[in-house]
Amino acid sequence: MSRLYQRKEFNILMIIIVISMLIALKNSSFLSVDNLLDLLKNNTVVGILGVGMLLAIITGGIDISVGAITSLATVIVGKALVNYQLNMFFILIVSSIFGIFLGLINGFFISRLKIPPIIVTLGTYNLYGGLNMYFTKGTWITNLPEYFNSFAKIRIIGIPIQIFFLIGVILLTYFILKYTLIGRGIYCIGGNEEAASRVGYNTNNILLFVYAYIGLMSGIAAVVHTTIVRQVAPNAFLTGYELTVIAAVVLGGANILGGEGTPIGTLFGAILLGVINNGLILVRVSTFWQQIIIGIIILFSVSFDVLRNKRIEAKMFKIDVQ
Amino acid sequence: MKTKSEIVLLILFISIFMILSVVSQGRFLSFDNLQIMAFQLPELGMITLGMMVVILLAGINLSITATSALSGVITALFLTNIETGNICLLICGAIAVATMFGLLSGLLNGYIIAYIGVTPILATLGAKILFEGISLYLTKGGSISGYPKQFFIFGNGTIFQIPIPLIIFIVFFVITYFLLDRTPWGAKVYSIGSNPIAAKFSGIHVKRISLQVYIYSSLLASIASIIMISRYNSAKAALGQSYLLESIAAAVLGGTKITGGEGSVLGTLLAISIIQIISSGFNMLNVNRFITNAIMGLLLIFVLSVDYLWGMYGQRSSIKATNY
Repeated sequence: MSRLYQRKEFNILMIIIVISMLIALKNSSFLSVDNLLDLLKNNTVVGILGVGMLLAIITGGIDISVGAITSLATVIVGKALVNYQLNMFFILIVSSIFGIFLGLINGFFISRLKIPPIIVTLGTYNLYGGLNMYFTKGTWITNLPEYFNSFAKIRIIGIPIQIFFLIGVILLTYFILKYTLIGRGIYCIGGNEEAASRVGYNTNNILLFVYAYIGLMSGIAAVVHTTIVRQVAPNAFLTGYELTVIAAVVLGGANILGGEGTPIGTLFGAILLGVINNGLILVRVSTFWQQIIIGIIILFSVSFDVLRNKRIEAKMFKIDVQ
Repeated sequence: MKTKSEIVLLILFISIFMILSVVSQGRFLSFDNLQIMAFQLPELGMITLGMMVVILLAGINLSITATSALSGVITALFLTNIETGNICLLICGAIAVATMFGLLSGLLNGYIIAYIGVTPILATLGAKILFEGISLYLTKGGSISGYPKQFFIFGNGTIFQIPIPLIIFIVFFVITYFLLDRTPWGAKVYSIGSNPIAAKFSGIHVKRISLQVYIYSSLLASIASIIMISRYNSAKAALGQSYLLESIAAAVLGGTKITGGEGSVLGTLLAISIIQIISSGFNMLNVNRFITNAIMGLLLIFVLSVDYLWGMYGQRSSIKATNY
């Protein structure tokens, strides 16, 4: 417990609380239960995709194609809803399997052909995005069936169903990372891939798993996103969404060089972005200022983090000398 | 030709060029088309050069197109708001403003990355969001146009039928080539990219040179912005946005290693040319633009897979050689 305040997640939580307080001073409706639930609901997609991206970032990789996969999956969800009237359970299964399949393609090139993740996913980003726009011609799917809309409005003890998806995904990822061999392998690869493989981890299969898992998260995120906006725009995630997800993961304390990061941190990172976005609107900051402020917050928080780490390292060095 | 990846690219370029010339029944090889391509190539070309130099350092510059856009917006504001009788002075001033901003944004990125020690991807991601925000704020989401007539030569002018943007690009291509391959500075950049610690211990000012590389990268982006706003006669926050991922793809296609320390300016030029002839040629053949995108993605993965398999083959034969 005494080490709680030393953890990165604790820092982010403090930043969230401070910013929330500042916003609440200006506009008390920020702290209303409705607004907070709305805020969380609107950031479930970033959170879910962030948790997937987290795995890649822990291994020292990255996935640029996450938005492209999600976009394609939302189209599949829309088509399955309109043309085949599948029930919710099968929609989720179809979307997940589709996502996993696209993720496996990424994983194949990354783990078997050893092409750097950023390049593979950049390529598949173009590939998936191009195919998506070609086949859908950018047309929206709007007439989603009634049973889907009523599913989207379900609240359990007053909490929107989307939030439960987010919680479920975070618990699952937390469990995988903390208590399974694959999860420990993911951290190990991020620390030192060579060493991980010497210790006996099958690094190829773990990497394959990581990118398939991102595909799974994209599939789930596609369903959740569709329940929130209740229509399908084929290009919803094609314009720079992956960078938002990466920003959330990194703000959440994951180390972009690998080996470090937790799902809880990623959740906080997504919430932080959400709080800033939502709060700036509530305190009536002009929309034109919002991005400037977000940019400055990102630059400051990452610089602060690095400087803090340097200080800690310097301290450890001193102890070494003594 | 120095490396095998340059040879692969050259073969790829020539074969795609020939196929397109034959399939399009002469339209591809027409003077008009060649000139149009020469007008289009410099924008991506300049930005890719800027991206390539930072990738050599094992870095990345996600803010490069945002730098271009903001520098374009500031230049446009300068051109439309300053009133002076002397057009030449105004245009020189505009170029000075653009390059100054390029220096400044490079300084910001370079300082945060080299001196504070933030990973390039994060620092430049933050800078990207910041610059985009400032562009949005300055333009209020619209676009700025209406520059003096003389300013259009940077994007649309020709000298002896050769487009001026292409000449600007060639000048910077040659400068980059000489800086990287013919000066001690370039050798230092490569050695920092392949091993920063070794570079530090061999007496290279790693921080200072990294800073300079980021400044150079932003400088190229701001020059690209002059070409862009002059060619489109408008500056907006989304200016050149699509070039961001394209420039990384082009740099990597050109044989630049994303892990740093390896890459060639010539290979980058070949990669940009390949992308240009594919997008122009396919457009001419009425291939859907999105299919062209998908093919670019496939091409990127294909070239790198070939590279990997070639490397495997080379390794295997070298192992054999040592066994004997």
